Amino acid sequence: MTNIIDILNDIVFTLTDPNIWIRLALASILLVILIIFSLWQNTKLERKIIWSFFRGLIQIMLLGSILLLIFGIDELWLLYIILLFMCFFAAYTNWRSYPYPKIFRYNFIAILTSVMTIMTFALLSSLIPNFDGIIYQPTGSAGSSLGSFVIPVGSMVIFFAMRESGVALERLKSDLLKSKGEIEAALALGATPNRSIRGLLRDSFRASLVPTINRVAVLGIVTIPGLMSGMIIGGASPIEAAVYQIVVFMMLLTAAFFTSIVTNYLFTKQFFTSEDQINLEFYNIISMKKKEKKK
Amino acid sequence: MDLSNKQNNNELFKIVDVEFQLRETKILSEINATINLSDITGIIGPSGAGKSTFLRLLNKLISPTNGNIYYKSQNTKEMSSQKIRKEIGFVQQRPYLFNGTVKYNLLYGPKLWNIEYSDEELVQLLQKVALEKNFLEKQVEGLSGGEQQRVSLARSLANKPSVLLLDEPTSSLDINSEEIIETSLKQLNQEGIKIIIVTHSLEQTERITDSLLFLREGKLIEKIPTEKFFSKYDNNEIRLFFKDTQSEDRK
Repeated sequence: MTNIIDILNDIVFTLTDPNIWIRLALASILLVILIIFSLWQNTKLERKIIWSFFRGLIQIMLLGSILLLIFGIDELWLLYIILLFMCFFAAYTNWRSYPYPKIFRYNFIAILTSVMTIMTFALLSSLIPNFDGIIYQPTGSAGSSLGSFVIPVGSMVIFFAMRESGVALERLKSDLLKSKGEIEAALALGATPNRSIRGLLRDSFRASLVPTINRVAVLGIVTIPGLMSGMIIGGASPIEAAVYQIVVFMMLLTAAFFTSIVTNYLFTKQFFTSEDQINLEFYNIISMKKKEKKK
Repeated sequence: MDLSNKQNNNELFKIVDVEFQLRETKILSEINATINLSDITGIIGPSGAGKSTFLRLLNKLISPTNGNIYYKSQNTKEMSSQKIRKEIGFVQQRPYLFNGTVKYNLLYGPKLWNIEYSDEELVQLLQKVALEKNFLEKQVEGLSGGEQQRVSLARSLANKPSVLLLDEPTSSLDINSEEIIETSLKQLNQEGIKIIIVTHSLEQTERITDSLLFLREGKLIEKIPTEKFFSKYDNNEIRLFFKDTQSEDRK
């Protein structure tokens, strides 16, 4: 990893650039105005404002440098380990919001499989002769190395998989609680568990996918995606940036949908016993979580 | 306990040493009973006695923690849940209908079992619960509570079950709807469908049941022909048995 040295040199070099300090100094005029406002309105926020800006500046400088280090990584195995780590935290975050039995494990499996599959597919696509691969390879200071595109795209995929599987899970859980009577009615008619909740599963996937599908539909009219803007600012052609944006949305949606399917099917397995009955103990557990949350 | 299966051809259910427990709470214990083929059997007892739980054991909507239930001499543990439920229909306390038309609800079961239904047969099915044929295309949301419960009864009948379990099917209905359902039940019983009904209505018990299983605090107190029950206990005692003090907080 010779380029770590390069990157550190780069950071030190940037810090000696007077431009950034002048920029900060001039912007501090705004900070002074902020303080004056604060004193005038007696909000007692002056200390907090100064401290927050100072602390925030140091934090994002560090973060930016770490990002630069990660973006500089060219070793595939190391990138996969970082992705694994990110999947782990995504599942953990979901589990904190939706603390139902085994959800951490199930969601982790679901996110990991979908993210790894889709990223591997994207990486392998570059093996096609005379083709750069599905993922855009920027050329910049940290460009050209694998990390500079695997990590940003991977993080988007993981984030969407986390968010949408969370939404789908929560929707399914509350529908299961609401529809206990209908589920029992279907089971009593001889339906299998999967059949008895088919409509609920469908609704849960719709609830999580529709907002993102809508977002794709209004691209360019209502929303100007950050990824595309960044690419254009970075010098990419608008057409190239647009195609890439659409490709990324396809990756995000596929990963998110697959993650939701795996998570929800594994979750509903617990809702029924091996004799195709509603698992009353599990039902009680998830309905109690709901009450706790309300408090 | 004598488990020797004296083959009794008149026997629909044989319940042997059944116990049901949810977490630490024992809901039913030491239940031993037989239910005969011909009757309309009532399950009665104060609220919290375990009546609904008992009923759900019979079509395997729940399984006993201990003990065995035999349906027509076959241990239900060895039968598939789906098959039992097709054979033994179930009507819930409230009509949990599926969103859509009455027709969609009626055909839900038959579609699972590949039973073909002509529109004419569907109309006949509706007649059994005193509903007109124009109900077929109606959305269930628009129906009254009584109509919904009748659709729910017809939905169970669409599977052509030989036994029908009912969990207080008229408890939230007006007298008129209650009468219609009771008439249907008597008619169905005459057509050969065996009926087991949980009820907390003294009057309903008297009107339609032939024999009774009387539960209290999770135990079977006795199995008795309805007539004898009403001569054995005096009115005050009976009212106490039917008292439904906690129907609101029952799970």
